[in-house]
Amino acid sequence: MNPETDPSAPVLALSDLVVEYATRHGRLRSLDEATLSVAPGQIVALVGESGSGKSTLGMAAGRLLASNALHVGGRLSLAGRPVYGSGAVDGEPLRALRRDVLGFVFQNPVTALDPTMRIRRQMELACRGRREDRHERPVAELLQEIGLSDVSRVLRSYPHELSGGMAQRVGIAMALRRRPRLLIADEPTAAVDATLREQILRLLVSRCREVGCALLLLTHDLHAVAQHTEQIAVMYGGRVIEHGPTAEVLDHPSHPYTRALVAALPGAEKPGQRLEAIRGIPPVLHTACPGCAFAPRCPDALPECRSTRPVYAAVGGRKLTCHLHTGGTASRSAASARNGADRDPADDADRDHHGQGRRTAT
Amino acid sequence: MPFHGDLLSRVSLVVLLGLLAVAVLGPWLPLGDPAAVNVGPRLAAPSGEWWTGTDSLGRSVLPRLVEGIRTTFLLAGVAVMGTVALGVALGMLAAYYRGPIAELIIRGADVLFAFPSLLLAILLVAITGPGAPGAVISIVLICSPLMVRVVRAASLSVVGRDFVVAARVGGAGPVRILLVHVLPNVAGTAVVQATYALSVGMLIESGLSFLGLGLQPPNASLGSLVHEGAVYLPIAPWLVLIPGALLALAIMAVNLVGDGLRDALDVRGVEVRR
Repeated sequence: MNPETDPSAPVLALSDLVVEYATRHGRLRSLDEATLSVAPGQIVALVGESGSGKSTLGMAAGRLLASNALHVGGRLSLAGRPVYGSGAVDGEPLRALRRDVLGFVFQNPVTALDPTMRIRRQMELACRGRREDRHERPVAELLQEIGLSDVSRVLRSYPHELSGGMAQRVGIAMALRRRPRLLIADEPTAAVDATLREQILRLLVSRCREVGCALLLLTHDLHAVAQHTEQIAVMYGGRVIEHGPTAEVLDHPSHPYTRALVAALPGAEKPGQRLEAIRGIPPVLHTACPGCAFAPRCPDALPECRSTRPVYAAVGGRKLTCHLHTGGTASRSAASARNGADRDPADDADRDHHGQGRRTAT
Repeated sequence: MPFHGDLLSRVSLVVLLGLLAVAVLGPWLPLGDPAAVNVGPRLAAPSGEWWTGTDSLGRSVLPRLVEGIRTTFLLAGVAVMGTVALGVALGMLAAYYRGPIAELIIRGADVLFAFPSLLLAILLVAITGPGAPGAVISIVLICSPLMVRVVRAASLSVVGRDFVVAARVGGAGPVRILLVHVLPNVAGTAVVQATYALSVGMLIESGLSFLGLGLQPPNASLGSLVHEGAVYLPIAPWLVLIPGALLALAIMAVNLVGDGLRDALDVRGVEVRR
């Protein structure tokens, strides 16, 4: 392990990270002051629509963003070592930090493996450069652990000879081979056959728990999130807008966007009942959003939501970026006055009430 | 033309291997000394005794043709190796390091690309002086720009792929990524491109020799044989036609083998055929 990393520090900590992409049509802001913290060994889901900045956040963790990405502001640290912001590591120390702390599991397992190399050689390469190399167990054992039966055939195979599910298992084994402290999995089951998704995800989470590795799971799949993760962070418009214990957040979502996401989730509806789509389209930011990015689509938006940026603050055991839940009294009473209902995050009936209201309006 | 491409490239491969065998074994074939003069009558037409006739100095043309094939393949082959080494290295670098290094490489390639190839070759030989080194350098500089572009394009699609990101997460440095991950993935493309470079190289070498800027007499190449025979075209046309036809045959064979290789190495093509 890298002696300079701090074992007690969060494995991943972002504060107000701003990342923009320089494109032919000007700047695109992908992360707009995103703040997030992942403790060692924690299983965290990062959910949000396409374009909300999840993948940018994942790649930024290893400073692996595309060459047209620009770090505009804020800080990111990995196991206590700064990756973006003042004193950021670079060159050989950055490579050593990635090697010791990070692992990646990709969406498409087949492109995550080098098509010109047999699996055995890829797995051997995956852990080169570690000092404890010689004490590593043979690759065959690692493959058995992740539930592959025909190990010797897999080791002799080229990636295109494996099924998607097998390739993803190999990808997980490779990512965990170096015993990283943080594994970032970007929709690891999206390209896998539907019947295998649950298996692969269970494998991923259980392997992470066994080796004590934190997992940041980037996904759309709220059902999977509910079953497998301890914490959930919801992203919208390049910011983390709600972060808390998974069960609590999904049962009693506070942020209007989280509430809308949960309402759009199939599963609990009665026959004949329509699922709620979120109206409007996600924002495309070119610069800092003047207010809350969700305000134009938010059913409960206050006047200040469009003009003042909400701050990321602790509210009752979770973190929220919302004017309706500042923990203070002013905006809460304003919201109550406007909606004629108390906006307590635990108030489930309130959510239902709004759901009904919108449903009849549609 | 996939329906008869296979047969055509197979025949071409046989022709190419035959010519290569002649080129390699040439000095040991019992054909006589290619430089010996007055071994027969002057400007004799092809006959049972002199299969491909004799030239104005009474030299037998057959050993000279064999030597010509040998020279043309040798010079073009050496130049192609240089082209591959230079083009693959620069192409991968230009793909991996975007920014000033890449710009420099790409613009440099564009400048060379802008010259008509034979004009550039003549210019370079004017600097280096006539002879084999000048011809080889010319071919390398003429063929490299295309090689750089093709390899760079192939590498760009590789360096963005997930397994390269995975290697970087694993702490791999640029050297390891380029040699272990990118090179094997662009090797097929580079090989196919090299066959085209070989045919262009043969053409340039012959062109330079025809102009008297390649290998110097009494050494023969296919181009210099055409040049020597050109004066006698009305009375001894075989002196031009035979080396000319051999050159055309060799270049065509190289190109068709290249096409066959391209089809064989194109993974997507294979899947479609299944």
